[in-house]
Amino acid sequence: MKYVVIIYGNKDLWESFPPEAAARAIAEQDAVNRRLTESGELLGSYGLGDELTAKTVRVRAGVPAVTDGPYIEAKEFVSSFWLLDVEHEARALEIAAEMPFAAENAVEVWPVLHEAGNEM
Amino acid sequence: MTCARRVEDLLRELAPQVLAALVRRHRSFDLCEDAVQEALLDAATSWPADGVPDRPLGWLLTVANRRLIDLVRSEQTRRSREERFAFGAPSAELLRMPGEDTGIDRDDTLVLLLLCCHPALTAPSQIALTLRAVGGLTTAQIAGAFFVPEATMAQRISRAKQRIRAAGATFALPPAAELEARLAAVMHALYLIFNEGYTSPPAAPAAPVELTGEAIRLTRGLHRLRPGDGEVAGLLALMLLTEARRPARRTPGGDLVDLADQDRARWNGGLIAEGVALVTEALASGPVGAYQLQAAIAAVHDEAASAEQTDWPQILTLYELLERIAPNPMAALSQAVAVAMVHGPQAGLDRLAALGQDERIAGHHRLHAVRGHLLEMAGDRRAACEAFREASRRTASAAEKRYLRARLDHLERGG
Repeated sequence: MKYVVIIYGNKDLWESFPPEAAARAIAEQDAVNRRLTESGELLGSYGLGDELTAKTVRVRAGVPAVTDGPYIEAKEFVSSFWLLDVEHEARALEIAAEMPFAAENAVEVWPVLHEAGNEM
Repeated sequence: MTCARRVEDLLRELAPQVLAALVRRHRSFDLCEDAVQEALLDAATSWPADGVPDRPLGWLLTVANRRLIDLVRSEQTRRSREERFAFGAPSAELLRMPGEDTGIDRDDTLVLLLLCCHPALTAPSQIALTLRAVGGLTTAQIAGAFFVPEATMAQRISRAKQRIRAAGATFALPPAAELEARLAAVMHALYLIFNEGYTSPPAAPAAPVELTGEAIRLTRGLHRLRPGDGEVAGLLALMLLTEARRPARRTPGGDLVDLADQDRARWNGGLIAEGVALVTEALASGPVGAYQLQAAIAAVHDEAASAEQTDWPQILTLYELLERIAPNPMAALSQAVAVAMVHGPQAGLDRLAALGQDERIAGHHRLHAVRGHLLEMAGDRRAACEAFREASRRTASAAEKRYLRARLDHLERGG
């Protein structure tokens, strides 16, 4: 079962962390990533750039138009995401709880759609 | 059959024998497994070109042994991992070439299966290791079949082998008192391999491994090793009777087709006959088990000439037996359908209402899908639509979403 784990944040939130706390959290997260890579449960983990650097693309009448900023108007934005392949949902939730950001703010877990259908 | 294909089949047949012989001699399961994998890759490249050697097993043993020596030497240069070989065989032993008399016996493959499905491993790890060490598949093939990157699958396999070593497992049959539970784990892993293949869309040409075929092949092997075990026979029968319907269960576009709507002419009569014979014999000869009962249910479906002629009372009786010996919420859902087919939709819906109290299944999309089906049977179109909508929102399967949306559209249009 594949899941995407997502954390959200914004400039104010990131700036509110003292540098040593941020470094500690990153080191903890790196350790989690390492364990998950070794167990064969982590397919990929990515951090995203600031929302200032995001672009939105719309095609109208065949003409693409690019605007600055994210599509969703929000106070917080996707900051990092992990793609997991685990035995069941309970394991995905357990992994989410190991992430240091879960103790700080919140971590989202989304199932990824697949093409399998109907247990036999 | 092409030459490459024939070589591949032969290699898969020989893989567990070579591995068992090597592990018996040298004990270090993880390094031996790597060595055999490399020997299999060598053979897969050279045999189709140069021809299959006269004694293929001896050829593989010799090459695997040589690879093992290389692996041990490179291991020993990695000082941090030296302790890994502390319990391994002395190098004099390693350097001795195996002869044709390998002392391979039938139980070795069983010991390998039990080792791969060791209780210290998670189910995904058991499956990956079984497919590689006993099935003789490459890491790339296994990764392709499970839609994960090869590096991830390699990691999973190597971690599984580390865990087996850390658990102190030895290459021997477990004590009699443990054997039953350990065999149950093997059967469960084989069941999961089959189920993964059965529920997945048809294999892409780029990943030609059919997991259902692989699961059946491995289960046939287990059945040969344990011919008197009714549950192994039941599991094999269940796979055959389910596989028989596979050609009809999706449209050419990949959409799911309900059992009742499948074109039964496309079911595989040979597999059905074999499965029916197996489960009939198993049920007659030993204690009844969950796989045998599920196979018997599949047999009743498979033997019905049309959906209307299905012997639902018999299916219901079998579900009642299954509920008694191995209660499980998924089987209970199917049982509710059987209740509805025998006693009417309201009786089935009453069953579902009770099941909805079970938190293991209360939020599950299948509960809503079955409720929609029974509400439709009862003629409550509006409530059925609501249930199908809920089910389609809750499933993580795109194929099931399409199927449920199609039923919903059909109902909304007054179908």
